[in-house]
Amino acid sequence: MFKELGPGLRLTLVFTILTGLLYPALMTGLSELIFPKQAGGSLVRVNGSLVGSSLIGQSFAKPEYFHPRPSAAGNGYDATASNGTNLGPTSAKLLHGTTKMDDKGREIVDFDGIEDRLVHYSIDNNLPYQSSVPLDRFQDSQGNLDDVKLIDAFNDPKSPLVFTAQRPIPPDAVTASSSGLDPQISPRNAEIQAARVARARGVEPDQVKGLIPQFTERADWGFLGEPRVNVLLLNIELDRKFPVPKK
Amino acid sequence: MTFLGLAQILIFFLVLLAITKPLGLYMYRVFQGERTFLDPILRPLERLIYRLGGVREDVEQSWVEYTGSIISFSIFSFLAVYLLQRFQGHLPLNPMHFSTPRAPANATPLTPDLAFNTAVSFLTNTNWQSYSPDTTLGYFVQMVALAVQNFVSAAVGIAVAVALIRGFARRTAKTIGNCWVDVTRYTLYLLLPICVVATLLLVSQGCIQNFRGPVTATTLEGPSQVIEQGPLASQLAIKMLGTNGGGFFNSNSSHPYENPTPLSNMLQMLMLLGIGAGLTYTFGKAVGDTRQGWAVFGAMAVMFFVGVFICYPSEQHGNPMLASMGIERAYTGSQPGGNMEGKETRFGIAQSTLFATVTTDASCGAVNSMHDSYTPLGGLVPMFNIETDEVIFGGVGAGLYSMLIYAVVAVFIGGLMVGRTPEYVGKKIEQKEVKMAIIAVLSTALVILGFTALSSIARFAPNGYWNAPGPAAANLNNNAAHGFSEILYAYSSGAGNNGSAFGGINADTPWYNLTLALDMLVGRFFFIIPALAIAGSLAAKKVTPTTSGTLPTNGSLFVVLLVGTVVIVGALTYFPALSLGPIVEHFQMLNGKLF
Repeated sequence: MFKELGPGLRLTLVFTILTGLLYPALMTGLSELIFPKQAGGSLVRVNGSLVGSSLIGQSFAKPEYFHPRPSAAGNGYDATASNGTNLGPTSAKLLHGTTKMDDKGREIVDFDGIEDRLVHYSIDNNLPYQSSVPLDRFQDSQGNLDDVKLIDAFNDPKSPLVFTAQRPIPPDAVTASSSGLDPQISPRNAEIQAARVARARGVEPDQVKGLIPQFTERADWGFLGEPRVNVLLLNIELDRKFPVPKK
Repeated sequence: MTFLGLAQILIFFLVLLAITKPLGLYMYRVFQGERTFLDPILRPLERLIYRLGGVREDVEQSWVEYTGSIISFSIFSFLAVYLLQRFQGHLPLNPMHFSTPRAPANATPLTPDLAFNTAVSFLTNTNWQSYSPDTTLGYFVQMVALAVQNFVSAAVGIAVAVALIRGFARRTAKTIGNCWVDVTRYTLYLLLPICVVATLLLVSQGCIQNFRGPVTATTLEGPSQVIEQGPLASQLAIKMLGTNGGGFFNSNSSHPYENPTPLSNMLQMLMLLGIGAGLTYTFGKAVGDTRQGWAVFGAMAVMFFVGVFICYPSEQHGNPMLASMGIERAYTGSQPGGNMEGKETRFGIAQSTLFATVTTDASCGAVNSMHDSYTPLGGLVPMFNIETDEVIFGGVGAGLYSMLIYAVVAVFIGGLMVGRTPEYVGKKIEQKEVKMAIIAVLSTALVILGFTALSSIARFAPNGYWNAPGPAAANLNNNAAHGFSEILYAYSSGAGNNGSAFGGINADTPWYNLTLALDMLVGRFFFIIPALAIAGSLAAKKVTPTTSGTLPTNGSLFVVLLVGTVVIVGALTYFPALSLGPIVEHFQMLNGKLF
């Protein structure tokens, strides 16, 4: 048994050098030589300045942009903290959302929840819905929807708010991805958002819709994976083609 | 389920079937020490390694010496990984400054218990990650500590499988090969060459491979976004090929840099199961009857399809509570439908569920979707795959030696039924082999169920070392049955040396770190040592001639017996625990109960 210790120590060192230093160094050299763009992170520049990576999703909340999926990475699309929600199907938090008290004792949103996202997606994109309570009850003084009130209403144990979309909603629009950095959305999700984006940019919906196919990747080799629309690349093209009118 | 989804699953299986024989034959040549086409380059390097390591390649070992070598190697592996982590703050290539005062605010401290857990995790081929790599580890530790273990722990797994194959193939022999030679040859001739090619293919799809620090982009809406970089692809290749599964990033193979396209996803799944499938052919070839290998392959294939065809429809059917809110359930060609919580758009339901099944068929544990967010039955499949010791093609080497241990149990049960001394591929299976097989099967069950029970009821005092005060269940992200599933999955994953998780659990406390480390050690060594003991015992035996009374083990009857044994042993052991977790949760979900 003890005579095995010598080779154990020596081979640990040998393999550390071979597979821990030489192998990754060789692969880095070859990768940067053959595929410099991919090896370097598929970074995207607009007019010379770095705006992100075509593979890494980023936050978009303004109406004039296509919105990505909800994200659980950090505070949303934090590329130093990739993660999903890790909430299961019987989680009240996942469906109804949760609120918490901030340090000043005000109730704020802790986690928005699928129902709250569904409300926003329906309203933002002008989709038909049914609500057990008129939504104007949840508006704040400026007339915007108050998420804290909504989440509290969804969580009401006696008579919870019931909100139903009347036209089928693609699930990627209201669920968080696994990485929290999903760069893509489903083509259906993009089509639904096109009208809102067009309105915000003062152009016809068909003009915006017409851009989507150009940024839609079909299944690889015709059968692998799903069709998908790259949100960042599509939004860059929007800015180029249909700049937002100055107010 | 859709036509395209089914086509992807079927084509994946057909490609796996197609590479089984050539890869199995190649591994047979490597294991026989025969010349391969890589000899001109690798043979001098191999000789140099033996010289540096002080190894004589012509001297074989008894099973006890073979075991001693593996334990010795594991001790030094442990020390290397542990110390490199603890000294990370002083090491180069750490652009995020982890383990230093300049670390970002969300960084995780590398405490002794966390470093211990991680060292055990990587040397046992588990790659359970109590830490989040994005916020804990620099490039140097990932490369020099973790990726090295990804190679050698995989090579050790193959070496054990090969030693067991020799046990069946040899007659009245005292030795079962040389551990150092096996580990070296499989690393050099199998793992490294495939990884070199696969790394480049993965980079071509968009995986990153560089030594640059994080880049800061200014997003279109204005705020900046810090995007981490690093030597990812080289580590990813061995993470999949060696069925290790520890991600370079926290979200593992769902991170777009770690799995950019459906094509890279397919490649990763094939790398994951390829060696496990090929080894069944190597086994058949070595014992002189390839149908013996195909019978084992057949049993694995049956269980593979059953798993996929439970997981895939469960996820496509999704959560009825979401459907009642007006969210699409069915696939329509322009949107995926189903349960997309914790799944990536590019993979959809089919490639996500296939990956979840495959990664737990083997002891890989890489994930391309968050298993914690699966529907109860969809999540039951990976959990049960792990609990039956990952014998469906399985981890590199580990899949075959675990399946052969089940084969010993199967022929023993078959022997009891017909009243004859059981035999398997010409060797009598006697008391010693059966005892060893039962130790292996029961020891993992003991730690999985034991630690799950303890963590479900334990309460911790305030200001204690072990855990935050209160119940250990406070570390969970979900309540009720799903929370219990998080604990059960964690200990199953540890003992199964899988490494995937119901990721909501916060396992970075001394209690979970140390119990999971013990769990992983039992799962690894209480399989390896019995497997080697069986190898030694079988190698010493004569070959028993086949008679009309011999239970044939190379046909469909044996496939049924073997599948039955695996499923029945697994179900008898875990059904009570599973019924408290995913099974009850399934009915709660159908009745719209939330917790």
